[in-house]
Amino acid sequence: MSRDDARRAVVVGVHATDQALSLPHRTPHDLALEAALGAIRDAGLDPREVDGAQLDWSGPGGAAGEGSSWARLLGDLAWTSDAQLDNSGVRGLLKASAAVGAGLAHTVVVGGCKLVSRGTGNAPVGAGAPLEFADVWGSYVVAQFALVAARHMHRFGTTPEQLALVAATIRNAGSTNPEAMMAGRGPYSVADVLASRLVATPFHLLDCCIVGEGGAAFVVTTAERAADLPATPVALLGGAMEYHQAAYADPPRYDEVGQIGRRAGARAFGAAGRGPQDVDVFALYDPNSFEVIRQLEALGLCAEGEGGPLVETGAIGVDGKHPVNPDGGCLAHAWNGTQQMSLRVIEAVRQLRGTAVHQVPDARTAVVANAGAGAQHYELAVLGRLS
Amino acid sequence: MSGRPVPTPSALTAPFWDATRRGELRMPFCDGCGSWFFTPEARCPRCLAAGWRYRGVAGTGTVYSVTVVHRAPGPGFDVPFALAIVELDEGVSLLSHVVGVAPEDVRIGQRVRVRLRPLTERITVPEFAPEDPTS
Repeated sequence: MSRDDARRAVVVGVHATDQALSLPHRTPHDLALEAALGAIRDAGLDPREVDGAQLDWSGPGGAAGEGSSWARLLGDLAWTSDAQLDNSGVRGLLKASAAVGAGLAHTVVVGGCKLVSRGTGNAPVGAGAPLEFADVWGSYVVAQFALVAARHMHRFGTTPEQLALVAATIRNAGSTNPEAMMAGRGPYSVADVLASRLVATPFHLLDCCIVGEGGAAFVVTTAERAADLPATPVALLGGAMEYHQAAYADPPRYDEVGQIGRRAGARAFGAAGRGPQDVDVFALYDPNSFEVIRQLEALGLCAEGEGGPLVETGAIGVDGKHPVNPDGGCLAHAWNGTQQMSLRVIEAVRQLRGTAVHQVPDARTAVVANAGAGAQHYELAVLGRLS
Repeated sequence: MSGRPVPTPSALTAPFWDATRRGELRMPFCDGCGSWFFTPEARCPRCLAAGWRYRGVAGTGTVYSVTVVHRAPGPGFDVPFALAIVELDEGVSLLSHVVGVAPEDVRIGQRVRVRLRPLTERITVPEFAPEDPTS
Protein backbone atom coordinates (compact mmCIF):
# COMPACT_ATOMS: atom_id res chain seq x y z
CA MET A 1 0.00 0.00 0.00
CA SER A 2 1.51 3.35 -1.00
CA ARG A 3 1.61 6.11 1.59
CA ASP A 4 -1.28 7.90 -0.19
CA ASP A 5 -3.37 4.74 -0.37
CA ALA A 6 -2.62 3.90 3.26
CA ARG A 7 -3.89 7.27 4.41
CA ARG A 8 -6.99 7.31 2.23
CA ALA A 9 -10.02 8.05 4.41
CA VAL A 10 -12.59 5.30 4.78
CA VAL A 11 -15.84 4.97 6.71
CA VAL A 12 -15.73 1.86 8.89
CA GLY A 13 -18.63 2.27 11.29
CA VAL A 14 -22.15 3.71 11.21
CA HIS A 15 -25.04 3.92 13.64
CA ALA A 16 -28.44 5.59 13.55
CA THR A 17 -30.60 5.72 16.67
CA ASP A 18 -34.36 5.40 16.58
CA GLN A 19 -35.84 8.18 14.46
CA ALA A 20 -39.28 9.35 15.51
CA LEU A 21 -41.56 12.34 15.57
CA SER A 22 -40.65 12.73 19.22
CA LEU A 23 -38.37 10.84 21.61
CA PRO A 24 -39.44 12.50 24.86
CA HIS A 25 -37.70 9.90 27.05
CA ARG A 26 -34.33 10.64 25.43
CA THR A 27 -32.02 13.66 25.64
CA PRO A 28 -29.94 14.91 22.71
CA HIS A 29 -26.80 14.01 24.69
CA ASP A 30 -28.03 10.49 25.34
CA LEU A 31 -28.92 10.03 21.66
CA ALA A 32 -25.57 11.46 20.56
CA LEU A 33 -23.79 9.08 22.92
CA GLU A 34 -25.72 6.09 21.58
CA ALA A 35 -24.95 7.16 18.01
CA ALA A 36 -21.22 7.65 18.63
CA LEU A 37 -20.69 4.48 20.65
CA GLY A 38 -22.87 2.52 18.24
CA ALA A 39 -20.78 3.63 15.27
CA ILE A 40 -17.56 2.79 17.14
CA ARG A 41 -18.93 -0.66 18.01
CA ASP A 42 -20.05 -1.18 14.40
CA ALA A 43 -16.46 -0.48 13.37
CA GLY A 44 -15.26 -3.25 15.68
CA LEU A 45 -13.39 -0.71 17.81
CA ASP A 46 -13.18 0.09 21.51
CA PRO A 47 -14.02 3.73 22.38
CA ARG A 48 -10.42 4.16 23.58
CA GLU A 49 -9.16 3.37 20.09
CA VAL A 50 -10.77 6.54 18.77
CA ASP A 51 -8.59 9.66 18.87
CA GLY A 52 -10.84 12.19 17.17
CA ALA A 53 -14.30 13.50 18.08
CA GLN A 54 -16.47 15.70 15.86
CA LEU A 55 -19.62 15.47 17.92
CA ASP A 56 -22.59 17.78 18.20
CA TRP A 57 -25.57 17.74 20.53
CA SER A 58 -27.92 20.29 21.96
CA GLY A 59 -27.66 19.40 25.65
CA PRO A 60 -28.28 18.95 28.44
CA GLY A 61 -25.10 17.11 29.37
CA GLY A 62 -21.48 17.76 28.58
CA ALA A 63 -20.65 21.13 27.12
CA ALA A 64 -23.16 21.22 24.27
CA GLY A 65 -21.45 21.09 20.90
CA GLU A 66 -17.92 20.83 22.32
CA GLY A 67 -16.52 17.52 21.16
CA SER A 68 -13.64 17.88 23.60
CA SER A 69 -16.00 17.33 26.52
CA TRP A 70 -16.03 13.68 25.40
CA ALA A 71 -12.28 13.41 25.85
CA ARG A 72 -12.43 11.37 29.06
CA LEU A 73 -14.72 8.82 27.47
CA LEU A 74 -12.69 8.47 24.31
CA GLY A 75 -9.27 8.54 25.92
CA ASP A 76 -6.44 10.56 24.47
CA LEU A 77 -8.16 12.83 21.95
CA ALA A 78 -5.90 14.32 19.30
CA TRP A 79 -8.63 16.01 17.24
CA THR A 80 -11.92 17.78 17.98
CA SER A 81 -14.29 20.12 16.22
CA ASP A 82 -16.97 22.32 17.77
CA ALA A 83 -19.20 23.60 14.96
CA GLN A 84 -22.44 21.77 14.15
CA LEU A 85 -22.06 21.58 10.37
CA ASP A 86 -18.45 20.42 10.77
CA ASN A 87 -19.71 17.61 12.99
CA SER A 88 -22.42 16.33 10.66
CA GLY A 89 -22.77 14.58 7.36
CA VAL A 90 -20.58 15.29 4.39
CA ARG A 91 -18.79 18.29 5.80
CA GLY A 92 -17.97 16.29 8.93
CA LEU A 93 -16.78 13.43 6.74
CA LEU A 94 -14.56 15.69 4.65
CA LYS A 95 -12.99 17.35 7.68
CA ALA A 96 -12.40 14.03 9.43
CA SER A 97 -10.90 12.72 6.19
CA ALA A 98 -8.58 15.72 5.99
CA ALA A 99 -7.50 15.03 9.58
CA VAL A 100 -6.71 11.35 9.06
CA GLY A 101 -5.14 12.06 5.67
CA ALA A 102 -2.79 14.60 7.24
CA GLY A 103 -1.95 12.26 10.09
CA LEU A 104 -3.47 14.60 12.69
CA ALA A 105 -5.63 11.77 14.00
CA HIS A 106 -6.14 8.14 12.99
CA THR A 107 -9.77 7.41 13.89
CA VAL A 108 -12.49 10.06 14.15
CA VAL A 109 -16.10 9.67 15.20
CA VAL A 110 -18.49 12.19 13.56
CA GLY A 111 -22.13 12.83 14.43
CA GLY A 112 -24.44 13.46 17.34
CA CYS A 113 -27.98 14.68 17.86
CA LYS A 114 -29.21 18.22 17.50
CA LEU A 115 -32.90 18.51 18.26
CA VAL A 116 -34.40 21.54 16.57
CA SER A 117 -37.70 21.01 18.31
CA ARG A 118 -36.29 21.38 21.82
CA GLY A 119 -34.59 24.71 21.34
CA THR A 120 -31.66 24.16 23.70
CA GLY A 121 -28.07 25.00 22.99
CA ASN A 122 -27.06 26.58 19.73
CA ALA A 123 -29.76 27.60 17.29
CA PRO A 124 -29.85 25.38 14.23
CA VAL A 125 -28.88 26.86 10.92
CA GLY A 126 -31.81 28.63 9.32
CA ALA A 127 -33.84 28.83 12.52
CA GLY A 128 -33.58 30.76 15.71
CA ALA A 129 -31.14 33.48 14.73
CA PRO A 130 -33.11 36.53 13.53
CA LEU A 131 -32.77 37.24 9.82
CA GLU A 132 -33.43 40.95 9.51
CA PHE A 133 -34.39 41.01 5.83
CA ALA A 134 -36.24 37.68 5.69
CA ASP A 135 -38.25 37.09 8.89
CA VAL A 136 -40.30 40.28 8.59
CA TRP A 137 -41.77 39.01 5.33
CA GLY A 138 -42.55 35.57 6.67
CA SER A 139 -39.75 33.95 4.74
CA TYR A 140 -38.59 30.58 6.06
CA VAL A 141 -36.79 27.48 4.83
CA VAL A 142 -39.65 25.93 2.83
CA ALA A 143 -40.51 29.28 1.22
CA GLN A 144 -36.91 29.95 0.24
CA PHE A 145 -36.67 26.61 -1.56
CA ALA A 146 -40.08 27.33 -3.10
CA LEU A 147 -38.77 30.57 -4.63
CA VAL A 148 -36.01 28.60 -6.37
CA ALA A 149 -38.45 25.95 -7.57
CA ALA A 150 -40.96 28.52 -8.87
CA ARG A 151 -38.35 30.22 -11.04
CA HIS A 152 -37.16 26.87 -12.43
CA MET A 153 -40.75 25.95 -13.31
CA HIS A 154 -41.25 29.34 -14.98
CA ARG A 155 -38.07 29.08 -17.00
CA PHE A 156 -38.08 25.40 -17.99
CA GLY A 157 -41.70 24.35 -17.73
CA THR A 158 -41.07 21.94 -14.87
CA THR A 159 -44.49 20.81 -13.64
CA PRO A 160 -46.13 20.22 -10.25
CA GLU A 161 -46.73 16.64 -11.43
CA GLN A 162 -42.98 16.12 -11.91
CA LEU A 163 -42.34 17.44 -8.40
CA ALA A 164 -45.08 15.22 -7.01
CA LEU A 165 -43.57 12.19 -8.77
CA VAL A 166 -40.29 12.79 -6.91
CA ALA A 167 -42.15 13.03 -3.61
CA ALA A 168 -44.23 9.92 -4.30
CA THR A 169 -41.20 7.87 -5.40
CA ILE A 170 -39.06 8.66 -2.36
CA ARG A 171 -41.99 8.52 0.07
CA ASN A 172 -43.02 5.11 -1.29
CA ALA A 173 -39.47 3.83 -0.72
CA GLY A 174 -39.75 5.01 2.88
CA SER A 175 -43.20 3.51 3.16
CA THR A 176 -41.71 0.00 2.87
CA ASN A 177 -38.61 0.74 5.02
CA PRO A 178 -39.32 -0.49 8.57
CA GLU A 179 -36.71 1.96 9.91
CA ALA A 180 -38.45 4.97 8.38
CA MET A 181 -40.58 7.35 10.40
CA MET A 182 -43.22 7.01 7.69
CA ALA A 183 -43.05 3.20 7.48
CA GLY A 184 -46.44 1.84 6.49
CA ARG A 185 -47.71 5.27 5.40
CA GLY A 186 -48.67 5.28 1.77
CA PRO A 187 -48.20 4.32 -0.95
CA TYR A 188 -48.77 7.75 -2.44
CA SER A 189 -49.72 8.58 -6.00
CA VAL A 190 -48.89 11.79 -7.81
CA ALA A 191 -52.54 12.75 -7.32
CA ASP A 192 -52.23 12.17 -3.56
CA VAL A 193 -49.28 14.56 -3.36
CA LEU A 194 -51.09 17.20 -5.41
CA ALA A 195 -54.21 16.79 -3.26
CA SER A 196 -52.33 17.41 -0.01
CA ARG A 197 -52.66 20.93 1.36
CA LEU A 198 -50.45 23.70 0.04
CA VAL A 199 -47.57 24.84 2.25
CA ALA A 200 -45.85 27.35 -0.05
CA THR A 201 -46.46 27.09 -3.78
CA PRO A 202 -45.40 24.99 -5.60
CA PHE A 203 -44.96 22.77 -2.52
CA HIS A 204 -47.76 20.71 -1.02
CA LEU A 205 -47.43 19.07 2.37
CA LEU A 206 -46.28 15.79 0.80
CA ASP A 207 -43.66 17.62 -1.29
CA CYS A 208 -41.94 18.64 1.95
CA CYS A 209 -39.74 16.65 4.32
CA ILE A 210 -40.87 15.42 7.70
CA VAL A 211 -39.51 16.70 11.03
CA GLY A 212 -38.51 14.45 13.89
CA GLU A 213 -35.89 13.50 16.42
CA GLY A 214 -32.95 11.12 16.38
CA GLY A 215 -29.18 10.80 16.32
CA ALA A 216 -26.61 9.46 13.88
CA ALA A 217 -22.84 8.96 13.72
CA PHE A 218 -20.10 7.35 11.68
CA VAL A 219 -16.40 6.54 12.11
CA VAL A 220 -13.66 7.62 9.72
CA THR A 221 -10.20 6.08 9.70
CA THR A 222 -7.39 5.33 7.27
CA ALA A 223 -7.39 2.52 4.74
CA GLU A 224 -4.36 1.11 6.53
CA ARG A 225 -6.26 0.75 9.83
CA ALA A 226 -9.45 -0.33 8.09
CA ALA A 227 -7.67 -3.40 6.72
CA ASP A 228 -7.74 -4.88 10.23
CA LEU A 229 -11.42 -4.09 10.89
CA PRO A 230 -14.45 -6.29 10.20
CA ALA A 231 -16.68 -4.04 8.07
CA THR A 232 -16.43 -3.59 4.32
CA PRO A 233 -14.46 -0.33 4.12
CA VAL A 234 -16.13 2.46 2.17
CA ALA A 235 -13.61 4.91 0.79
CA LEU A 236 -13.87 8.63 0.19
CA LEU A 237 -12.96 8.86 -3.49
CA GLY A 238 -13.61 12.59 -3.86
CA GLY A 239 -15.30 15.42 -2.02
CA ALA A 240 -16.00 19.11 -2.37
CA MET A 241 -17.90 22.07 -0.96
CA GLU A 242 -19.52 25.09 -2.58
CA TYR A 243 -20.89 28.30 -1.06
CA HIS A 244 -22.87 31.32 -2.19
CA GLN A 245 -24.35 33.56 0.51
CA ALA A 246 -25.78 33.43 4.02
CA ALA A 247 -28.28 30.58 4.33
CA TYR A 248 -31.92 31.72 4.30
CA ALA A 249 -30.95 35.40 4.74
CA ASP A 250 -30.29 36.58 1.18
CA PRO A 251 -32.79 36.32 -1.69
CA PRO A 252 -32.28 32.87 -3.29
CA ARG A 253 -32.23 33.84 -6.95
CA TYR A 254 -32.33 30.81 -9.25
CA ASP A 255 -29.69 32.33 -11.54
CA GLU A 256 -27.30 32.48 -8.58
CA VAL A 257 -28.11 29.34 -6.57
CA GLY A 258 -30.08 27.17 -9.00
CA GLN A 259 -27.06 25.21 -10.11
CA ILE A 260 -25.25 25.16 -6.77
CA GLY A 261 -23.37 21.89 -6.53
CA ARG A 262 -22.27 21.88 -10.17
CA ARG A 263 -18.79 23.22 -9.44
CA ALA A 264 -18.42 21.13 -6.29
CA GLY A 265 -19.61 18.09 -8.21
CA ALA A 266 -17.05 18.65 -10.95
CA ARG A 267 -14.29 18.84 -8.35
CA ALA A 268 -15.44 15.77 -6.47
CA PHE A 269 -15.98 13.65 -9.59
CA GLY A 270 -12.62 14.84 -10.92
CA ALA A 271 -10.85 13.71 -7.77
CA ALA A 272 -12.70 10.39 -7.83
CA GLY A 273 -11.89 9.73 -11.46
CA ARG A 274 -15.56 8.86 -11.97
CA GLY A 275 -18.49 10.70 -13.50
CA PRO A 276 -22.12 11.11 -12.49
CA GLN A 277 -23.18 8.31 -14.87
CA ASP A 278 -20.89 5.92 -12.95
CA VAL A 279 -22.82 6.46 -9.72
CA ASP A 280 -24.99 3.51 -8.69
CA VAL A 281 -26.94 5.23 -5.91
CA PHE A 282 -27.47 8.79 -4.66
CA ALA A 283 -28.14 9.86 -1.06
CA LEU A 284 -29.21 13.47 -1.60
CA TYR A 285 -30.73 16.16 0.57
CA ASP A 286 -34.46 16.11 -0.15
CA PRO A 287 -35.99 18.85 1.99
CA ASN A 288 -38.58 19.01 -0.77
CA SER A 289 -39.36 17.31 -4.05
CA PHE A 290 -37.91 19.98 -6.32
CA GLU A 291 -34.47 19.92 -4.74
CA VAL A 292 -33.95 16.41 -6.12
CA ILE A 293 -34.77 17.56 -9.67
CA ARG A 294 -32.36 20.46 -9.26
CA GLN A 295 -29.55 18.21 -8.08
CA LEU A 296 -30.00 15.75 -10.98
CA GLU A 297 -29.18 18.73 -13.20
CA ALA A 298 -26.43 20.28 -11.09
CA LEU A 299 -24.65 16.95 -10.67
CA GLY A 300 -24.63 16.48 -14.43
CA LEU A 301 -27.08 13.58 -14.88
CA CYS A 302 -28.98 15.69 -17.40
CA ALA A 303 -28.91 19.18 -18.86
CA GLU A 304 -30.23 22.16 -16.92
CA GLY A 305 -34.02 22.20 -17.16
CA GLU A 306 -34.31 18.49 -18.03
CA GLY A 307 -34.54 17.17 -14.48
CA GLY A 308 -38.34 17.01 -14.62
CA PRO A 309 -38.47 14.90 -17.80
CA LEU A 310 -35.67 12.70 -16.43
CA VAL A 311 -37.74 11.97 -13.33
CA GLU A 312 -40.69 10.99 -15.56
CA THR A 313 -38.60 8.11 -16.96
CA GLY A 314 -38.58 6.50 -13.52
CA ALA A 315 -34.88 7.28 -13.12
CA ILE A 316 -34.83 7.96 -9.38
CA GLY A 317 -36.61 4.78 -8.24
CA VAL A 318 -34.72 2.02 -6.43
CA ASP A 319 -34.71 0.06 -9.71
CA GLY A 320 -34.20 3.16 -11.86
CA LYS A 321 -31.14 4.39 -13.70
CA HIS A 322 -30.19 6.86 -10.96
CA PRO A 323 -31.68 5.64 -7.66
CA VAL A 324 -32.14 8.47 -5.15
CA ASN A 325 -32.70 7.93 -1.42
CA PRO A 326 -33.88 4.30 -1.39
CA ASP A 327 -34.25 4.60 2.39
CA GLY A 328 -36.94 7.27 2.03
CA GLY A 329 -34.65 10.24 2.61
CA CYS A 330 -35.79 13.27 4.55
CA LEU A 331 -39.20 12.97 2.91
CA ALA A 332 -40.06 9.69 4.64
CA HIS A 333 -37.14 8.12 6.51
CA ALA A 334 -36.13 10.93 8.87
CA TRP A 335 -35.21 14.57 9.22
CA ASN A 336 -33.83 15.13 12.69
CA GLY A 337 -32.06 18.49 12.58
CA THR A 338 -28.44 18.72 11.51
CA GLN A 339 -27.74 15.00 11.81
CA GLN A 340 -30.08 14.20 8.92
CA MET A 341 -26.86 14.93 7.03
CA SER A 342 -25.19 11.97 8.75
CA LEU A 343 -28.20 9.77 7.95
CA ARG A 344 -27.48 10.42 4.26
CA VAL A 345 -23.86 9.28 4.76
CA ILE A 346 -25.07 6.16 6.58
CA GLU A 347 -27.46 5.21 3.77
CA ALA A 348 -24.67 5.57 1.19
CA VAL A 349 -22.32 3.44 3.32
CA ARG A 350 -24.93 0.73 3.80
CA GLN A 351 -25.66 0.67 0.06
CA LEU A 352 -21.94 0.14 -0.63
CA ARG A 353 -21.67 -2.51 2.07
CA GLY A 354 -24.67 -4.28 0.53
CA THR A 355 -26.68 -4.03 3.76
CA ALA A 356 -29.28 -1.38 2.89
CA VAL A 357 -32.97 -2.08 3.47
CA HIS A 358 -33.75 -1.30 -0.18
CA GLN A 359 -30.48 -2.45 -1.67
CA VAL A 360 -29.40 -1.29 -5.13
CA PRO A 361 -27.86 -4.48 -6.56
CA ASP A 362 -24.05 -4.48 -6.53
CA ALA A 363 -23.76 -0.78 -5.72
CA ARG A 364 -20.10 0.18 -6.04
CA THR A 365 -20.15 3.96 -6.25
CA ALA A 366 -22.38 6.32 -4.29
CA VAL A 367 -22.78 10.07 -4.04
CA VAL A 368 -23.88 11.62 -0.78
CA ALA A 369 -24.75 15.31 -0.64
CA ASN A 370 -26.04 17.80 1.92
CA ALA A 371 -27.68 21.22 1.77
CA GLY A 372 -28.81 22.85 -1.46
CA ALA A 373 -30.20 25.86 -3.26
CA GLY A 374 -32.27 27.43 -0.50
CA ALA A 375 -29.42 26.87 1.94
CA GLN A 376 -27.03 28.52 -0.55
CA HIS A 377 -24.31 25.96 0.15
CA TYR A 378 -23.60 22.38 -0.92
CA GLU A 379 -21.29 19.59 0.11
CA LEU A 380 -20.88 16.24 -1.58
CA ALA A 381 -18.75 13.13 -1.38
CA VAL A 382 -18.16 10.36 -3.89
CA LEU A 383 -17.86 7.08 -1.98
CA GLY A 384 -16.84 3.69 -3.23
CA ARG A 385 -15.91 0.21 -2.14
CA LEU A 386 -12.20 0.10 -1.48
CA SER A 387 -11.58 -3.13 -3.36
CA MET B 1 -48.51 43.44 15.15
CA SER B 2 -49.51 40.20 16.94
CA GLY B 3 -46.19 38.46 16.65
CA ARG B 4 -44.93 39.33 13.17
CA PRO B 5 -41.13 39.50 13.55
CA VAL B 6 -40.00 43.12 13.60
CA PRO B 7 -36.43 43.90 12.55
CA THR B 8 -33.98 45.24 15.10
CA PRO B 9 -31.81 47.69 13.16
CA SER B 10 -28.04 47.50 13.65
CA ALA B 11 -25.47 50.19 12.92
CA LEU B 12 -25.15 48.57 9.50
CA THR B 13 -28.85 48.52 8.69
CA ALA B 14 -30.28 51.54 10.53
CA PRO B 15 -29.94 53.85 7.47
CA PHE B 16 -32.16 51.45 5.48
CA TRP B 17 -34.91 51.63 8.11
CA ASP B 18 -34.39 55.37 8.67
CA ALA B 19 -35.02 55.86 4.95
CA THR B 20 -38.15 53.70 4.76
CA ARG B 21 -39.56 55.58 7.76
CA ARG B 22 -39.00 58.81 5.83
CA GLY B 23 -40.74 57.32 2.79
CA GLU B 24 -37.70 56.36 0.72
CA LEU B 25 -36.21 53.05 -0.40
CA ARG B 26 -32.41 53.22 -0.25
CA MET B 27 -30.14 50.26 -1.01
CA PRO B 28 -26.42 49.60 -0.50
CA PHE B 29 -24.35 50.92 -3.41
CA CYS B 30 -20.59 50.66 -3.83
CA ASP B 31 -18.99 53.65 -5.58
CA GLY B 32 -15.76 51.65 -5.78
CA CYS B 33 -17.08 49.05 -8.24
CA GLY B 34 -20.39 50.66 -9.18
CA SER B 35 -22.54 47.81 -7.93
CA TRP B 36 -25.70 47.57 -5.88
CA PHE B 37 -26.01 44.79 -3.36
CA PHE B 38 -28.41 43.46 -0.74
CA THR B 39 -28.52 42.42 2.07
CA PRO B 40 -26.21 45.01 3.69
CA GLU B 41 -22.74 43.71 4.53
CA ALA B 42 -19.81 45.37 6.27
CA ARG B 43 -17.98 45.44 2.95
CA CYS B 44 -19.07 45.35 -0.66
CA PRO B 45 -19.40 41.64 -1.50
CA ARG B 46 -17.97 42.24 -4.99
CA CYS B 47 -14.86 44.36 -4.37
CA LEU B 48 -14.57 44.30 -0.56
CA ALA B 49 -14.62 48.11 -0.35
CA ALA B 50 -15.69 49.34 3.08
CA GLY B 51 -16.85 52.76 1.91
CA TRP B 52 -20.19 51.89 0.33
CA ARG B 53 -23.29 54.03 0.98
CA TYR B 54 -27.07 53.79 0.90
CA ARG B 55 -28.43 55.33 -2.29
CA GLY B 56 -32.00 55.96 -3.31
CA VAL B 57 -33.67 53.71 -5.88
CA ALA B 58 -36.63 54.40 -8.15
CA GLY B 59 -38.77 51.83 -6.32
CA THR B 60 -39.88 50.01 -9.45
CA GLY B 61 -38.99 46.52 -10.53
CA THR B 62 -40.18 43.11 -11.62
CA VAL B 63 -41.13 39.94 -9.81
CA TYR B 64 -38.15 37.56 -10.19
CA SER B 65 -39.85 34.71 -8.33
CA VAL B 66 -42.89 34.28 -6.13
CA THR B 67 -44.33 31.71 -3.73
CA VAL B 68 -47.80 31.86 -2.24
CA VAL B 69 -47.28 31.02 1.40
CA HIS B 70 -50.19 29.10 2.88
CA ARG B 71 -48.45 27.95 6.05
CA ALA B 72 -46.88 30.93 7.80
CA PRO B 73 -43.65 30.41 9.76
CA GLY B 74 -45.26 31.88 12.88
CA PRO B 75 -47.95 34.21 14.15
CA GLY B 76 -48.57 37.66 12.75
CA PHE B 77 -49.14 36.81 9.10
CA ASP B 78 -52.44 36.59 7.25
CA VAL B 79 -52.26 33.63 4.87
CA PRO B 80 -52.09 33.18 2.02
CA PHE B 81 -49.57 35.88 1.11
CA ALA B 82 -47.28 36.36 -1.88
CA LEU B 83 -43.61 36.21 -0.85
CA ALA B 84 -41.50 37.39 -3.76
CA ILE B 85 -37.99 38.13 -4.84
CA VAL B 86 -38.33 41.57 -6.41
CA GLU B 87 -35.61 42.65 -8.81
CA LEU B 88 -35.42 46.43 -8.75
CA ASP B 89 -34.74 48.25 -11.99
CA GLU B 90 -31.28 49.10 -10.63
CA GLY B 91 -30.54 45.35 -10.74
CA VAL B 92 -30.55 44.54 -7.03
CA SER B 93 -33.02 42.06 -5.50
CA LEU B 94 -34.80 41.80 -2.17
CA LEU B 95 -37.36 39.58 -0.50
CA SER B 96 -40.72 41.27 0.02
CA HIS B 97 -44.47 40.87 -0.31
CA VAL B 98 -46.53 41.64 -3.37
CA VAL B 99 -49.81 43.17 -2.19
CA GLY B 100 -52.81 44.84 -3.75
CA VAL B 101 -53.56 41.77 -5.85
CA ALA B 102 -54.72 38.25 -5.04
CA PRO B 103 -51.58 36.29 -4.07
CA GLU B 104 -52.25 33.56 -6.64
CA ASP B 105 -52.42 36.20 -9.39
CA VAL B 106 -48.87 37.46 -8.84
CA ARG B 107 -46.75 36.46 -11.84
CA ILE B 108 -43.03 36.17 -12.46
CA GLY B 109 -42.06 39.07 -14.68
CA GLN B 110 -44.87 41.28 -13.40
CA ARG B 111 -44.03 45.01 -13.01
CA VAL B 112 -44.28 46.26 -9.43
CA ARG B 113 -43.75 49.48 -7.50
CA VAL B 114 -42.78 49.91 -3.87
CA ARG B 115 -45.30 50.77 -1.14
CA LEU B 116 -44.10 51.58 2.34
CA ARG B 117 -46.05 50.10 5.21
CA PRO B 118 -45.46 51.19 8.81
CA LEU B 119 -45.31 48.19 11.16
CA THR B 120 -44.16 50.01 14.31
CA GLU B 121 -43.05 53.53 15.15
CA ARG B 122 -39.49 52.54 14.23
CA ILE B 123 -40.00 50.07 11.39
CA THR B 124 -41.62 50.73 8.03
CA VAL B 125 -41.32 47.83 5.58
CA PRO B 126 -41.20 48.05 1.81
CA GLU B 127 -43.86 46.02 0.02
CA PHE B 128 -44.67 46.00 -3.66
CA ALA B 129 -47.88 46.34 -5.63
CA PRO B 130 -48.56 45.94 -9.35
CA GLU B 131 -47.55 49.08 -11.25
CA ASP B 132 -50.76 48.91 -13.21
CA PRO B 133 -53.36 47.17 -11.06
CA THR B 134 -55.28 46.11 -14.17
CA SER B 135 -52.31 44.38 -15.79
